[in-house]
Amino acid sequence: METRQALRPLGSSLSHATSSVTRSPAFRSIASRRHQSTTSRTKKMLKIPPHPDFLTPQSGQNHIIYNPPAAAPSVYHTPFKFLPKSDPRRQANLSQLVRSSTDLHASRSSLPPVSRATENREKKYNVTREQVEEMRHLRASDPVTWSVHKLAEKFQCGPFFVMMCCKASPEHKEKERQRLEAIKARWGPVRTKAREERQKRKVLLAQGAL
Amino acid sequence: MKRIRYQQLSRQWLATTPARSATPSQVSRLSRPAPTALHCQRRCQSSTSITPDEVFSEAEVHDSPEESTNIHEVRSKPLLPSPHPDRALRSAKLAALHARLSLSSKIPRQVLARALVDPSADAHPKFNNANLAFVGASLLQYHTSEWLVTRYPRLPMSILFAAMKGYAGDPALHRIARAWGVEAAAAPGEEVDPGYLQFSHNNPTVKMHKWGYARAESKELNKYKWRRGMSSRIVLDDPFGNLVDEPEDIPQETDGLEVSDARNKKDLVVQNVDKNAHANFVRAVVGAIYLHCGSETAKTFIKSHVLSRQLDLSNLFNFSLPQRELTRLCARENFDPPVARLLSETGRLSRTPVYVVGIYSGYDKLGEAAGPSLDAAKSAAAINALKSWYLYSPGEVGLPSDTFAEDAAPWKPVYVDIGEIIS
Repeated sequence: METRQALRPLGSSLSHATSSVTRSPAFRSIASRRHQSTTSRTKKMLKIPPHPDFLTPQSGQNHIIYNPPAAAPSVYHTPFKFLPKSDPRRQANLSQLVRSSTDLHASRSSLPPVSRATENREKKYNVTREQVEEMRHLRASDPVTWSVHKLAEKFQCGPFFVMMCCKASPEHKEKERQRLEAIKARWGPVRTKAREERQKRKVLLAQGAL
Repeated sequence: MKRIRYQQLSRQWLATTPARSATPSQVSRLSRPAPTALHCQRRCQSSTSITPDEVFSEAEVHDSPEESTNIHEVRSKPLLPSPHPDRALRSAKLAALHARLSLSSKIPRQVLARALVDPSADAHPKFNNANLAFVGASLLQYHTSEWLVTRYPRLPMSILFAAMKGYAGDPALHRIARAWGVEAAAAPGEEVDPGYLQFSHNNPTVKMHKWGYARAESKELNKYKWRRGMSSRIVLDDPFGNLVDEPEDIPQETDGLEVSDARNKKDLVVQNVDKNAHANFVRAVVGAIYLHCGSETAKTFIKSHVLSRQLDLSNLFNFSLPQRELTRLCARENFDPPVARLLSETGRLSRTPVYVVGIYSGYDKLGEAAGPSLDAAKSAAAINALKSWYLYSPGEVGLPSDTFAEDAAPWKPVYVDIGEIIS
């Protein structure tokens, strides 16, 4: 028991490093390594301290162990923000109400990091009507040179916006389709099957079955 | 002491002897008090108001035991398509079913026997369960939709249709009937025990539709798979949002019935006869309870047998663009735009990474999910957030039908949502 207690700070710091640091390779090399040079060191490293609920408290009294397994939150539990104004739960949970109003001025560091850098992107609405006309003209004149991504780069907007504005000619679409067909024809059985399964996973994900 | 007639003990005689010969038809007809018959006729046209004896009275002119010495005369009497109602009182199966469902003694066993006769077994509307099932279907659909709408006020219409089908549709009612221990007879007929569910695969039957129209373009809808908008599904289609089939041309039977069942012949194409017959039995039981015991008892019965079943509504959803829909929702409700945040991850460089992504609007987490890639986890989290929006429930609130009771409290309006998200 004493060794486990002694190991706890090490373990918690390790797990902290695993969860928060994802980008820096130095930390990753420590955290994600699962073995040491020798067996005894590896075993010692992999000794996980028990959850605090399972330890006898300082007072030494009996206590109830509450350590439910990690589970996804139920969708039947409506988030506080989704409760309508008339719902009595909104009034009952006053602390949440106060928190959501004061937290706006609190530090943003309490939130977890965004999953992608693009998540923080603000909408710019910088493309003017004349630029859209020009974009259409360029795309119609030479769709090969002025591809969607090139136009997006030129006018500093997203490719989705370019696709909303311009429509390629049917000939160009047909050419692109034939090119894609040629690429697909070169796929072997493994890649074809993998792509098919990816589509199936997409369907399952939309149904919430994955 | 009567003379034993040997030729009547043959197998054919046993097969053709109607069961009601055990109780002399004249006695049963005369001994029935007239007020009861009138009462039943007025209330529900239940099976006690008219007996097959009256329907086949022409064939029964020579039905006295003295005259039926000739076997040919016995043979000439037509067989009833379903058991005689008088036999219901002597059926152990029927009594067991009556007791198993804890039905009130106000419901006669003859009515329960009638509820077990599908229109495909007996086409006569006074002896099959079509009318009872029609009443029961209306009640089932009313109470189910009312309960769903007040309990989950934000459900999209398509999910509401699916949930209606899950609670009060044919498959669910079929399961309920099977759980009640109702068994189907191999073939309908007079000699069958009245405790069996009787239907025929060959004869046309009735599909219960409270409303719904056969669309003019239904052939093209089926052939070319045209799209059906939700608005037209609400107006034109049946209570479960399914297409009302075009009635096929079926040769009209001219059997001179005094009660026309033209309505019942409207829709005769049934895919699964077995399922339809079981479902119609459950509907007919509900209808019988309503007619004999009143609306409150019928509501309690529906609540305890139909609405008490578990249906996971969160499995009915299928989103095509969950992230865009969530963005539209947040814009509509003046929330901060949703941002995906990484709650935890493991094995980023391994073959099987797991990311737990939460969708945040401002400082509030709307939903979270785990996935094998950042995009999949984000999409799943958006789906969870949308589900928790749509599956909001105000809890146990009163139903509009609660106010039908005598000493009901005044109606308190429930939460009504402005509608589903259009993206």
